[in-house]
Amino acid sequence: MSEPGLKIPQGWESRAPQGWEWKTLWDAVESGDHHYSGQRVKEAIDAKIDPRVILDDGLFPGFDLQSDRFSAQIIFIPEMLITARAMKVGLALIRPLLAAMAEKPVGTFVMGTVLGDMHDIGQSIVTIMLENAGFKMINLGTDVHPDKFIEAAKNEKANLVGFSALLSTTVYYQKVTIEEFIKAGHRQKVHILIGGAPTSQEWADECGADGWGKDAVEAVRLALRLVKEPREAWA
Amino acid sequence: MDDGTVRVTFVGADGGTTHVVERPRGATLLDAAHTAGLPVEATCGARGRCRTCRVKVLKGDIPPPTIQDKVQLGEDEVRERFRLACQVKLIDDCTAVPMPPREEAGHQILAGVHDVAEDSRLTLDSGIVKHVVTVKPPTEEHHQTSDVEEILAVLPPGTRPDVPIEIVRKAPAAIRADKGKLTVTLFNDRVIDVEVGDTSAHTYGVAFDIGTTSIVGTLMDLKTGEQLADVGSVNPQAVYGGDLMSRIAFAQFEPKKLQTLRAKVLNAINDFITEACEKAKVSPEHVYKVVVVGNTCMHHIFLGVDVTYVGLAPYAPVVRDLIVLPAKDVPLKAAPNAQVCLLPIVAGFVGADTMACVLATRIYESENVRALVDIGTNGEVVMGSKNGLMACSAPAGPAFEGAQIRNGMRGAVGAIEKVTIDADVHVSVIGNAPPIGICGSGLIDAVARFVDAKIIDSSGRLRRERREILPPAIQKRFVDTPDGCEFILVHKEDSGRQEKIVLTQGDIRQLQLAKSAIYSGVVMLQRVMGIPDERLAELMLCGGFGNYISIESAVKIRLLPTLPIERITYVGNAALMGAQMALLSETERRRALDLARKIEHVALATRPEFQEIFVDGMNFSGISFAEEKRALKSAANDSVRMAAGG
Repeated sequence: MSEPGLKIPQGWESRAPQGWEWKTLWDAVESGDHHYSGQRVKEAIDAKIDPRVILDDGLFPGFDLQSDRFSAQIIFIPEMLITARAMKVGLALIRPLLAAMAEKPVGTFVMGTVLGDMHDIGQSIVTIMLENAGFKMINLGTDVHPDKFIEAAKNEKANLVGFSALLSTTVYYQKVTIEEFIKAGHRQKVHILIGGAPTSQEWADECGADGWGKDAVEAVRLALRLVKEPREAWA
Repeated sequence: MDDGTVRVTFVGADGGTTHVVERPRGATLLDAAHTAGLPVEATCGARGRCRTCRVKVLKGDIPPPTIQDKVQLGEDEVRERFRLACQVKLIDDCTAVPMPPREEAGHQILAGVHDVAEDSRLTLDSGIVKHVVTVKPPTEEHHQTSDVEEILAVLPPGTRPDVPIEIVRKAPAAIRADKGKLTVTLFNDRVIDVEVGDTSAHTYGVAFDIGTTSIVGTLMDLKTGEQLADVGSVNPQAVYGGDLMSRIAFAQFEPKKLQTLRAKVLNAINDFITEACEKAKVSPEHVYKVVVVGNTCMHHIFLGVDVTYVGLAPYAPVVRDLIVLPAKDVPLKAAPNAQVCLLPIVAGFVGADTMACVLATRIYESENVRALVDIGTNGEVVMGSKNGLMACSAPAGPAFEGAQIRNGMRGAVGAIEKVTIDADVHVSVIGNAPPIGICGSGLIDAVARFVDAKIIDSSGRLRRERREILPPAIQKRFVDTPDGCEFILVHKEDSGRQEKIVLTQGDIRQLQLAKSAIYSGVVMLQRVMGIPDERLAELMLCGGFGNYISIESAVKIRLLPTLPIERITYVGNAALMGAQMALLSETERRRALDLARKIEHVALATRPEFQEIFVDGMNFSGISFAEEKRALKSAANDSVRMAAGG
């Protein structure tokens, strides 16, 4: 299996000032150097480069490269996490500019670890990565009661909801929480994703989830696909 | 059949015993095997993540292989109709042979290493005392007494008058035989047995450590402290899930399944008592005290207590105190009123087994700060001194047991336990047999040597791209597969399983998660207690597994903090030793209760700095890999400059 390569955006030369180079930013995101990624994004903003261009041409190539490597198990959680953080630092600088340009989030995603489970390492990586992918993230933390998921989804008019479970003993609550969404009459308003070490596609089918991500990268791909499929509107 | 059920026939791998069961269509083959009473293991909890439930389907229609079948068994085996029993949903009558991929015989189980009775500070006060007395039947009709009162009259003052019903029933015949010569057995101030004649030479007890993976026990003479017989085997509950959490998940919300687990462990314990007594040529009727330790889950299941909520935050146990009950209420094969004593529990994941380790190591009276680490599917860490103790648990998962590792197996005959690398890779195998898989200690050793030989980098990545710097024989061991890179440990022709033995990139990732859990547990307690490495006087490894790992390798891969090696010691199966101490000494047993309440439990997952330590702990070297990458890059630049004649 060959190692994924850097995806260089098409026509990027014309989108940045003459002589501008993104490679240092790609490297900073790839190696997880968040000081340098922040510094390079600031410089790009000062150079009045379109924030959408900074995002696509400056931040994403290094991030996508690492995501693909993570999917292929070439890199592991520590490297993915620092890359995600380096990306997040850059993103935090350009997000206000995107908002000012009336760039809307891709969707609203309510995330949490189910009742009975105190683990958050998995879902915190997924949260950063979904945030990087353009979602508005509402993270409810760990040991989240089904009612709290429902309330947050309602208040935020969420498009997607994600339930993480890291223990064989708590995956049960993924099913319970989905059943609570059905009882509350909100099941058709959201796409429900599940994930976590003991989960599988079979379990997702059994508990009635709309999708299962084997890792954070898969979860982002799935969320980006599902968010385009319409659901019933929130009142 | 057309009534919605299918008939499944299991034949022995040798063509021997045949079992036939009927199951509803859609049930799994694993379920059918368990219904047939076959001990087919599903170490991963029937999730298709290990190979322990492998079967070969000889006849009948079965669904196409699942992805898990292909991943775990490979295309070749799948074509030969090998399947994971947990993955096969029955559609028609079929015949299958259970074929676990490894030999379980010769499982390495560690009994107590040290002789507890030789501990000079242990007082032999088991609480069991036999009084040889002569009792005369009541003679007064006017001022009437009773048989039982006559017995009590010759016993030490303070003996409780409420004697168990079995003794009341035995009393009339007993005091009228052999001229009233009796042996009365007391546990502290309570009568627990009455026998005709002098049996004072026979007072025995058994100590048990019920682990998630294995059960070990020792029959002891309560008067002399002598160890009479050791017994042990794998925990028969393992067929319902290898690690603690899958065991709890199995029984969660289902009282019947809890009873299934309980029956498994009680049968095993009773068989062990019989076996030990036969070995030592003593009667189980003379076993008067049994001390049982185990993690909270094993402790609760032994007692038939619901474990549902132990598996859910805040993971609270149902009961923590010392528990004493008569053997007949368990029931155990011992004197009916033998005292079955369970040591106290500290917290949901810091159980009576950890408590026993604390007793055995006497860490509670240490002048300097020491740490106690039990490496297992759930690693427990206790740290402190006479000034106080803290404990935490680190969920390492089953990788150390060889589960969820492609060619993983338990420490049995045929398991690779040690690896050396020079110009090529060499393995040592348990029992000097041809290798068939790798066990946890072998995995740790292999990865440590991989780090040394630069086969993997400090982030755990197999250095496939830069393999040209490695010796040719080693270069040839890298294999690309659709699922990623693999490294061949044993070539097909040297293997005892007619196929190569590999470590996959995924296996290394599993080990990284497991070892970081243990590492983070130790480092977190150091942080919380403010103990830098130089103030940690000793790190004691206990548990069966701890004794087989190479300390040097464990430090190399950062399973343990980087302490000077002489400060890391093996203490043997401290849980069993603690149980033996509580068996021989009531002073020790009572001390356990006092200590259990004083140990402060630290919940790792809820502390903000845990994630950072856990993530850092996945790496194989202390420097962050961002720094290392920069160092590599600048080294590469330097060499480019040099090559350019700069």
